[in-house]
Amino acid sequence: MALYRRPTAQLGLLLAAPLGWLAIAYLGSLALFLVTSFWSVDSFSGNVVTTPTLDNYIAIATTEVYRTIAVRTVVMATLVTATCVVVAFPIAFYISRVASPRIRGILVVSILLPLWSGYLVKVYAWRLILSQNGVLNSILGTVGLHGPGYSDIAVWLVESYLWLPYMIIPIVAGLERIPSSLLEASSDLGGRAGLTFRRVVLPLAVPAVVAGSIFTFSLTLGDYITPTLVSNTRFIGNVVYDFVGVAGNQPLAAAYAMVPVTIMLVYLLLARRFGALEAL
Amino acid sequence: MLLPRGLRIGLRVATAVTLGFIYLPIILIVLYSFNASRVASWPITSLTLDWYGRALGNAGVRTALITSIEAAVGATIVSLVLGSLVAFAVQRHAFFGRQTLSFVVVLPLALPGIVTGIALNTALRTVGIDFGLATIVVGHATFCVVVVFNNVVARLRRLAPTAEQASMDLGADTFTTFRRITFPAIRTALLAGGLLAFALSFDEIIVTNFTAGASTQTLPLWIFTNYQRPNNLPLVNVAAVFVLILSIVPVYVASRLTSGTEAARR
Repeated sequence: MALYRRPTAQLGLLLAAPLGWLAIAYLGSLALFLVTSFWSVDSFSGNVVTTPTLDNYIAIATTEVYRTIAVRTVVMATLVTATCVVVAFPIAFYISRVASPRIRGILVVSILLPLWSGYLVKVYAWRLILSQNGVLNSILGTVGLHGPGYSDIAVWLVESYLWLPYMIIPIVAGLERIPSSLLEASSDLGGRAGLTFRRVVLPLAVPAVVAGSIFTFSLTLGDYITPTLVSNTRFIGNVVYDFVGVAGNQPLAAAYAMVPVTIMLVYLLLARRFGALEAL
Repeated sequence: MLLPRGLRIGLRVATAVTLGFIYLPIILIVLYSFNASRVASWPITSLTLDWYGRALGNAGVRTALITSIEAAVGATIVSLVLGSLVAFAVQRHAFFGRQTLSFVVVLPLALPGIVTGIALNTALRTVGIDFGLATIVVGHATFCVVVVFNNVVARLRRLAPTAEQASMDLGADTFTTFRRITFPAIRTALLAGGLLAFALSFDEIIVTNFTAGASTQTLPLWIFTNYQRPNNLPLVNVAAVFVLILSIVPVYVASRLTSGTEAARR
């Protein structure tokens, strides 16, 4: 059979396995997860009751602690994202527009290595650094200061640390794409470095920043490991994790997890407006 | 680009400081794994290799290490097959829902990991599948597919279809063309994607926590259940270094294979 003459058959063969997998393992689970959020748990038997109810959502909307935790998580994700943008810009600018091609290659790899590996290890390393007798207190102690210990500030610091490479890489790619002629034109017209940066570079880098922020924001929203290791504060992820594990209440967990899902879907739709999905 | 001298120096300093910030914690954990003391205080006073021997002799660490390798190999194989199939479909064919498919493939990375985790957990419980190695592989593969997909799509985009057409004009059938033309061209992309998938799987914990069940432990899970036990602290440090090595080395090799920013991006 000449397969190249039958593109539809070829396409079918290509797509059957992955579509089956995606539809069943991933989308199926997501759909079930959505449905589960309308189920409930019988308080006597602990069994799941599949009669649809809005009780979980009502419980979440009306219980103050859940609202507080949701707001806290979103604030944290916003702060982490802002921190990553500020810290990422100088190094991304250096990599993309100043460094020689050889150095650029080395720097990009050295940003990619920690981006891909050792998530838990890095959080754990920070737990040791921030501990009472750890490196940070030892160093700060010599000038009479004290580190943040295990606290909200620690969560902010560690999350910013963890997701920083996810911001650097898209900004490097975005800045690389800006034609040099634009920057030269700006300086020919009398724009100093600062003005050129504000009026030319920054606006053109917006899609890249938005692309990076998808990661920094989403990863912070769902992280329950970092708060567990370096603070006593609970974030959305911790509550969801406890609902599943300790409380055995899948439906309530699903309903609460809808908060980050909804936020991310809105975020992704907005990001598409900025042309950020192409910049991913 | 022409920058004032001061700014240039400032950027260089900022770059060095940022790199230091990124790498110091990683270096520190390696140092601590050689720490002779049982507590992680600073400064480190004496060094030892003992904990490495003890970690390898510890049944929990060994079992977890093997489970992690099995899970990573399984997830890599599944994502290599599925990821490259989707890449070929998306890059070589125009069909209804193509954009949607590309979006769905990327979704597991854009949604918080805890969502994937709890969704899979709910589904497995509802269907009645027992948790274990197989369910860990399923969980890891959902987000590893993306990596292979991205690498292969990037490569196919640069590979002109004319080479394949020429091959077929010369009488080769679809499979011969794949074997002789397409596969050699995408081989390094597949290898890089596979290595990245392995690395991603090896140090994953957020989803694994929901799909492993009580009786199966990967190395990151072992760390997560032991980091608070003072007795096990030195072993946790060594386990952390194992995870670090087995995830950083594949990423490094992958980045050499694709040389540059193109393929290693998520």
